[in-house]
Amino acid sequence: MKRRSKLVAGASAGTVAGAAAVAAVVVLRRRGILGGNLRLSRGLAALQLIARGGARYASSAPRLFAAAGEHRQQLRNDLALETAEDVATTLGAMKGVLMKLGQMASYIDDGLSPGVRRTLSRLQDSVPPMSPELAAQVVSEELGGPPEQVFARWDPEPIAAASIGQVHRAITHDGRAVAVKVQYPGIAETIAADLGNVALLRRMLRITAPSQDVDALLGELRDRVLEELDYRREAENQRLFAAYYDGHPTIVIPAIVDELSTRRVVTSDLADGARFAELATWPQAERDLAAETIYRFVFRSLYELHAFNGDPHPGNYLFHGGGRVTFLDFGLVRRFTAEELEPLMQMARYLCVEHDPEEFRRNLVKAGFLRADAPLSTDQVVEHMAVFYDTVRESRPLTMTGDYSSAVVHRFFDVRSPVTTYAQIPRSYVILQRINLGLFGLLGELTATANWRAIAEEIWPFVLGPPTTPMGEAEVPWRARRPATTLA
Amino acid sequence: MTAEQFGTAAGLIERSAAAFVSGVPESPADDGFFGPASVTWRLSGDLAGPIAGLRSLLMQALHPLAMAGVDQHSGWREDPVGRLAATSAYVTTVSFGERAAAERAAARVRRIHTRVRGVDQVTGRPYEASDPALLLWVHAALVESTVAVRGLFGTPLSPEDADRYVAEMVVAAELVGVPAGQVPASMAELDGYFASVRPELRCTPAAGESMAYLLDPPGLDEEIADIWQDVRYGAVVALPDWAREMYGYRVPPLTPGRREEIRQVLGVLDAAFLGEPGVLEARQRITARVRTARSAPASTARSAPASTARPA
Repeated sequence: MKRRSKLVAGASAGTVAGAAAVAAVVVLRRRGILGGNLRLSRGLAALQLIARGGARYASSAPRLFAAAGEHRQQLRNDLALETAEDVATTLGAMKGVLMKLGQMASYIDDGLSPGVRRTLSRLQDSVPPMSPELAAQVVSEELGGPPEQVFARWDPEPIAAASIGQVHRAITHDGRAVAVKVQYPGIAETIAADLGNVALLRRMLRITAPSQDVDALLGELRDRVLEELDYRREAENQRLFAAYYDGHPTIVIPAIVDELSTRRVVTSDLADGARFAELATWPQAERDLAAETIYRFVFRSLYELHAFNGDPHPGNYLFHGGGRVTFLDFGLVRRFTAEELEPLMQMARYLCVEHDPEEFRRNLVKAGFLRADAPLSTDQVVEHMAVFYDTVRESRPLTMTGDYSSAVVHRFFDVRSPVTTYAQIPRSYVILQRINLGLFGLLGELTATANWRAIAEEIWPFVLGPPTTPMGEAEVPWRARRPATTLA
Repeated sequence: MTAEQFGTAAGLIERSAAAFVSGVPESPADDGFFGPASVTWRLSGDLAGPIAGLRSLLMQALHPLAMAGVDQHSGWREDPVGRLAATSAYVTTVSFGERAAAERAAARVRRIHTRVRGVDQVTGRPYEASDPALLLWVHAALVESTVAVRGLFGTPLSPEDADRYVAEMVVAAELVGVPAGQVPASMAELDGYFASVRPELRCTPAAGESMAYLLDPPGLDEEIADIWQDVRYGAVVALPDWAREMYGYRVPPLTPGRREEIRQVLGVLDAAFLGEPGVLEARQRITARVRTARSAPASTARSAPASTARPA
């Protein structure tokens, strides 16, 4: 009975599409299961699914900033979001949440290929920009007048895609060149509502890694995304960083323009500089300096400011040569309490400085990384965990490679290791995975060389070593001006 | 008979996506039978599509002769995925293809239909796939499902747009061989048609088994079965009461909270479908043309008269 029939004529394309989408989940999961470890595959498929969506989007999307051809520009205009309804269609019903998850995919990375990971993190670029009219409407609602009146000059063409928004250039009435980030209308409400469906999120995120506590991960992701929806929070973070690094020889944080920043619009000084892709073509000495600045920024922020910018995405830096780097986008910042940071410091201290494995282990347990009753020898624990400290265990020049960060990640989730069963990432530290994935990935792409241990000793509060590089020397006057109370 | 007699659902997304992509031309010579100003095109990317489709299959299967034709001839049980993909390709081509492409596809379906004939074992009645009455049922069930499900899970169509959509779709019925005069051209006419055809409808064993398969495809693992339950629930809750009773399905009523959850699941599914090669580009081709039509001086309003989209 291999003949055709008549329901053919009537069933809708939508049916097929929908059924197909469901089937895809199944299919991908099967592939995942065939591909490797069964436990790791669970839920991974859902992400790979999203990743595939992202790949298509990203490769065909009217990318902002791209040296776009005429056709691409036309397509971008045609697809631009013109109304709040267009925004809801494009990013409603979980799609905005998926986009954010894509942006944060490296939190939950447990063996995604670098390509998939990059694709996920780029999902945010995949959404069409707002039309100039729609962006102007948001500015009017937030700042009390159309952008042409609120600013002396306003460029209606966005210069960059931002998280759930886009960036426009403008000049203020007192002559400051500024970047104005404008949020998609309605997106905050939509995403906040969708984040309420914990059951569905848990289903999508039923990840895999035996050591990932899904609810903790989910809670952390929700908190961070919800914070990011309110640009006032971002402005506040950026002010904190800008104040702290004021006068720093190589770290530049654009200042926030307070009176032009609201819940859905954030205005800061316009920065210019080379993009990451361009930096990659610069001489190795320049790349090493840029890497050193980023490294200092991350660990000084963590240990001294008790804050971590969780979005070390290549698009969030501008490079000026001589190691000067402008840091952009403070939407995803995690502030830590001293109590939260304490065990992290002690871990580094006992493993790398005091060489006391038992104390290292005790702090691992105290921080919640390792179960207290893990029937493991301390040698096993150290053997497993030490990879995270490979760059700082010995004082010698070391070149970061592209493989290092993935090696770190894979180590943590290596189900063949007896330690993995008893290890997990406590909620407070979920965001710190970005150090492994974001920072080290970035430094690896630059094949940056430095004596990272020596730099770490300058920063570690339990060492506070003297300057070891010219950049460290240049920091001295800046540090001298910092009041000691900042460390509280 | 049991569901085990049905083939696997593997490959559904790849084949359906390929079918969809192939039906959306890159540089069409004309706008086809509907065009970018039509309600039909505007509905194309609606999230509720999966539920509308499943509900229309549930409706279509209630005509014993239509169901017998599928069950006895189509390879439906051996290769359900292939059947659905073929349907997807056809519907997409008729909706978005050039007129010549739509006419070629329709001619092929009509040719196939001439070979599909037999006797329904339940009612003992003979059937022919080219019988306009059966083709009209299949057509009407799709059109009505699209409007009903959009109302429940998408952005409801205004009464005017619903009428426009029903009128636009007349040409699709004509293409498979239903004389235009027999095809409902408004929501009121569609309601009248449903009332008249009701006495012929019933849930035969073939319908019960086929739909049991679609509602609960065997082999789904637990998490996916979860998601599928939402789609299934949405399709069943959207059925008219009488249709649900024929199948003997019982579902709790749709609450606002449940509706929102289902929309969220649909969004996830949509993101997944977009991930298939070419799907996004095909959708962008459609969207770009719809936007252009929206801003064109000739048809600025979304509620432009349907006649502009109707064949001459």
